[in-house]
Amino acid sequence: MLLPTTTVGSFPKPDYLAKARFQFSKGQISKTELEELERKATREWIEFQEEIGIDILVDGEMYRGDMVTYFAENFKGFEISGLVRSYGNRYYRKPVAVGEIERANPVTVEWFKFAQSLTQKPVKGMLTGPYTIMDWSFDEHYSSRRDFCLRLAEVVCEEAKDLEAAGAQYIQIDEPAISVRPEELDLAIEAMGIATQGLKAHTLTHICYGDFPKIYPKMLEIPVDQIDLELSNNEFDLLGLFKKAPFTKEIGLGVLDVHSHRVETQSEVISRIEKALKIIPKEKIYVSPDCGLKTRGMEETKAKLRVMVAAVKEVRESL
Amino acid sequence: MALDATLAGAYPKIGDTTEEQKLRRSLHQFDKGELSEEALEQIKDEAAQDVIQQQMEAGLDILTDGLIRWDDALTYIARGISGFEMAGLIRYFDTNTFYRQPVVESRLEFIKPCLVQDFQFAQEKSSKPVKAVITGPYTIAKLSRNHFYREFKQLAFDLAHIIHKEAQALEEAGCRYLQFDEPAILNHKQDLSLFLKVYEIVTAQLAKAEKTLQLNFGTLEGLYPKIFEVNVERIGIELIKGHPNWQVLKSAPFTKKLMAGIVNARNTKMESEAELNQIVHDLGEHVNVEQLWLSTSHSLEFLPRSNARKKIELLATTAKQLRGASVS
Ligand SMILES: [Zn+2]
Repeated sequence: MLLPTTTVGSFPKPDYLAKARFQFSKGQISKTELEELERKATREWIEFQEEIGIDILVDGEMYRGDMVTYFAENFKGFEISGLVRSYGNRYYRKPVAVGEIERANPVTVEWFKFAQSLTQKPVKGMLTGPYTIMDWSFDEHYSSRRDFCLRLAEVVCEEAKDLEAAGAQYIQIDEPAISVRPEELDLAIEAMGIATQGLKAHTLTHICYGDFPKIYPKMLEIPVDQIDLELSNNEFDLLGLFKKAPFTKEIGLGVLDVHSHRVETQSEVISRIEKALKIIPKEKIYVSPDCGLKTRGMEETKAKLRVMVAAVKEVRESL
Repeated sequence: MALDATLAGAYPKIGDTTEEQKLRRSLHQFDKGELSEEALEQIKDEAAQDVIQQQMEAGLDILTDGLIRWDDALTYIARGISGFEMAGLIRYFDTNTFYRQPVVESRLEFIKPCLVQDFQFAQEKSSKPVKAVITGPYTIAKLSRNHFYREFKQLAFDLAHIIHKEAQALEEAGCRYLQFDEPAILNHKQDLSLFLKVYEIVTAQLAKAEKTLQLNFGTLEGLYPKIFEVNVERIGIELIKGHPNWQVLKSAPFTKKLMAGIVNARNTKMESEAELNQIVHDLGEHVNVEQLWLSTSHSLEFLPRSNARKKIELLATTAKQLRGASVS
């Protein structure tokens, strides 16, 4: 099938789950009670993706908070810092490496198995990449960013192998931080090589918020089958880059702006896909939103995804 | 003049205790319309006073107001300049923090000083001199989006005149240490001649205050030593262990006073006193240590407050001991 549809990973949490997470943080409900609701929400998102006809599913990350902190909380060797400001009145906690990073137990595998058991369609295994975990953490243990990053790559690889063994056909290792420091792109590439070593599953990475002209075409050396990119946020300016140096991998084409409340029209999404089709062979295009959707509202998210799937259907018929 | 300890700019606005999070809660209430503007201002004053108190307790010699009222490096100043409008959030250099991008929609004009009141408040609460931190005109120009000026240099010159007025007002208010933050020049080194002209405008007739040019988020390589033509008395650079600036220092004598960012403000790992002593010892080969300022590599807002506090305590202790050592 041409133009398979998928999403970047996270979906908004339903109100009952947001409330339960808050109650859990205050010690008012048990871990078991929270997990029951996380499973309920996961089930609902799988059903929704099935219902609208998405081809490659995700579990929606109902059990994760921040994409880096989630892994840090589950790996040995990390502590969590005090509050740091990101913008305005928004604060977050950063992981702090205080010892050798190790994976005591698989982190995401049980959730993957649960989600996959609910559908015949493939569910993606979703991980955060070593470079991004390194870049978004404080480091009190390793002597260099490189040592820290490469150790994380080994740990991420263990998790990826377990996902593959559990049946994951697609493994996505997100590296949103990769585009921020072009001078460290080599390190990120090396780390991804370690993280994906020996995997037979289809591998992808998602990159966003960056200065792509500074890392393109070099970023095509990231050893994965597919790179998923944020394109709608800058109205597909990036495609100009691909005219100069061809995009040689499969592309995850971001066609929905996740920073905007506005639901795209079907014809807008169609025109975005058609722009890409002029430059990238149709066999190499997967269609997805720009980024995770967890910060959008429930109804917005659903409406945007419906438009995306409908637009792809229409384009497919014309191909 | 002696070896002094200071900080690069901002101090974390909140801490991890309930009491230290009053500002955060109040901003939240204000956003929901549950708190009046006057009440919020009162709480900002309290937070600023607390931050000044923390710096004094830590033993710093030259303080800042903590930049408690600043959302980011650009908007606090840009909102006070006529001709700017604020747009979307943009990543601030290679950090995980963001700034709201000012957009130049018409000719930029000075309205009134926007930092003087904060300076006066801080100085009143402090027994130590307070340094005023100002984002420099070149960096404001570079990080903004220009919808009005035909040439970048016109934008930079207009901003230079505006920042000059701000600096003048600070000087008149009794401020004796002015710090201009210009990280953007390190990413656009080809603009150095323009940059020097901008600073002729900014610093014209500012004779009472000592002026520092703070250059972080990069290295001086390619600007050094020509950067010494800039009309300021002191230059601040990153000098944490292993930083490429150490190589740069070897290439020519450092002919101004130095503010050395020797404590890493972007990692929680604590430097040791021995490490800092060694760094200052090594700096002795390049500058007069008697006039040295020891500082953090960056604003402290990249750290949780408890870590920031430990870092400034370490700086203060190091400076104090080194002063004692040079007396004996
Ligand atoms: Zn993203």
